[in-house]
Amino acid sequence: MADVLRFGCAELRPAERALFVDGQPAALGSRAFDVLMVLVESRERVVSKGELLDRVWPGLVVEENNLQVQVSALRKLLGAQAIATVPGRGYQFTLAPGADAPSPPRAAPAVVAPAVRGGSARVLVADDNKVNRLLLTRSLQLMGHQVESVDNGRLALERLRREPFDLLLLDLEMPELDGFALLTKLRDDPALSELPVVVTSSVESVAAVARCIELGAEDFLHKPVNPVLLKARVGSLLEKKRLRDEQKALLARLSDADGAPDVGATGATIGSIASGNVMATVLVARLAGDALADLPADEAIELLGAWATLMVDAVEGQHGLIATLTGDTIVAVFGTLRAAPDAREDMSAALRTATDMAELTDLLAHERQAEHRAAITTAVGIASGPLLVGVASAARRAAYVCVGAAVERATELAAAAARPGQDAQVALVDESTAAALEGRVALRKRTQPPGCRALVAAPTSVTLAG
Amino acid sequence: MAEPLLDPAVLQGLSDTVGADFVAELVETFASEAPAMLAELRAAQTAGAAERLRRAAHSLKSNAHTFGALRLAEGARALELGGLPTSAAAFAERVAALETDFAATLARLREVQHG
Repeated sequence: MADVLRFGCAELRPAERALFVDGQPAALGSRAFDVLMVLVESRERVVSKGELLDRVWPGLVVEENNLQVQVSALRKLLGAQAIATVPGRGYQFTLAPGADAPSPPRAAPAVVAPAVRGGSARVLVADDNKVNRLLLTRSLQLMGHQVESVDNGRLALERLRREPFDLLLLDLEMPELDGFALLTKLRDDPALSELPVVVTSSVESVAAVARCIELGAEDFLHKPVNPVLLKARVGSLLEKKRLRDEQKALLARLSDADGAPDVGATGATIGSIASGNVMATVLVARLAGDALADLPADEAIELLGAWATLMVDAVEGQHGLIATLTGDTIVAVFGTLRAAPDAREDMSAALRTATDMAELTDLLAHERQAEHRAAITTAVGIASGPLLVGVASAARRAAYVCVGAAVERATELAAAAARPGQDAQVALVDESTAAALEGRVALRKRTQPPGCRALVAAPTSVTLAG
Repeated sequence: MAEPLLDPAVLQGLSDTVGADFVAELVETFASEAPAMLAELRAAQTAGAAERLRRAAHSLKSNAHTFGALRLAEGARALELGGLPTSAAAFAERVAALETDFAATLARLREVQHG
């Protein structure tokens, strides 16, 4: 391990167990440092929460919430985007290494490349002409991409099947397997059929260009390739791929086959997600306070991103499902993703999420306070009841929907909790949830709004009779 | 009328994009690769292999365009689109002309690099 590892503004000194940000020593707890080291050492991949827990707290049974707090503390120091949450899979360190940082070990072979971050991608150049191959490789490297090259179609196919790539730049006239044959093989291979391909060739026939497009090539660039066009096309295709990868990750999250049972007698499941009429608990969280007022647009967007990152973490940490995320409001459902045998467990998970949200918001608030920015709080409303859930789709869009009085009630309670003059970090719980958890959760009676109670302390676990 | 040997704007654009040092490296790669393409043209003609001939001419044309070597590119293109020649003597003459153009192009490219 190197003495000093640099990532953007951060400098990590493993031997001293110290982190410097912008040249200043950062106050970092021992566990947070360990979490950071694991993420940095394994930055070429996503590290699961289970692995992090095992490596940072070996031999101990630790609540995931502890891990989230450490990750939040690190995000507070390094920026919210420094550690990405990959839904359903874990965390990944995203800061680019400085010039003197060692290269990360090669990723384990996989056919599907990870989502592209920070504009850098893995690109394969397949061209039998050495001058063209070197020139394309150099041009792409100057754009910040990692580039590998091969001189025939067969080798290209072998590499693509063995390693993850984000993009293929393909010449048509090559020995062994030419560009057309390779395009056909990619089209017929389910694991590679979505790989973006740009054909680069100096063929002059329009029919050849048309054939490439028919075979699935995304684009065609005539040689000699204009560098400005190359950059624009590659950038655009990588962005499309990134969005597609994000959608896939979301779908994977939505259909995360966890062996969960069907939910309720009238509900079916999509993967393991309930679809139909179910009993569930809804949590609505709103960014409250004057945080967004008078903020420049870019800072407001940054704040919304940081807030949403933390809140989504809190929901997913308790196995909730994010139904909608609209700027400063998140609607999450408990009881549709991983159905508990008793509805009280879902309610309890929602209440724990509210506590986690308060804790995470507090971390963000302290960071802002240090920068003399307006305070923020997260207002939460929780309600339980029958819901109609499922995937509703229009011609070109689909969404997981949940409809029912509990959604409306949780929204009302979140709005009430967000009103000025409320306690900081207040969570309001509807009567049906409160009654079901009577004696197990500390809830304070409220007169306004009627029919709800305020969460004082969420249960760390609920022991159910029988 | 014959095309000019070199379009200096293409070479300048290449230098601006990937750096003069890299262009010098690329020119030397071209210098070592092109003779094999010219040899393949002759071999393909002797063997009566139209596709091999077309491919070799295509590769030469592609590289010539990269450096803005207009005359060489035009000569290679004519062979690429012309198919197998009916007259071996005329073909040998055209390949010889290409070799002359290649040598002159390479000399000019090196001159520009070191100029």
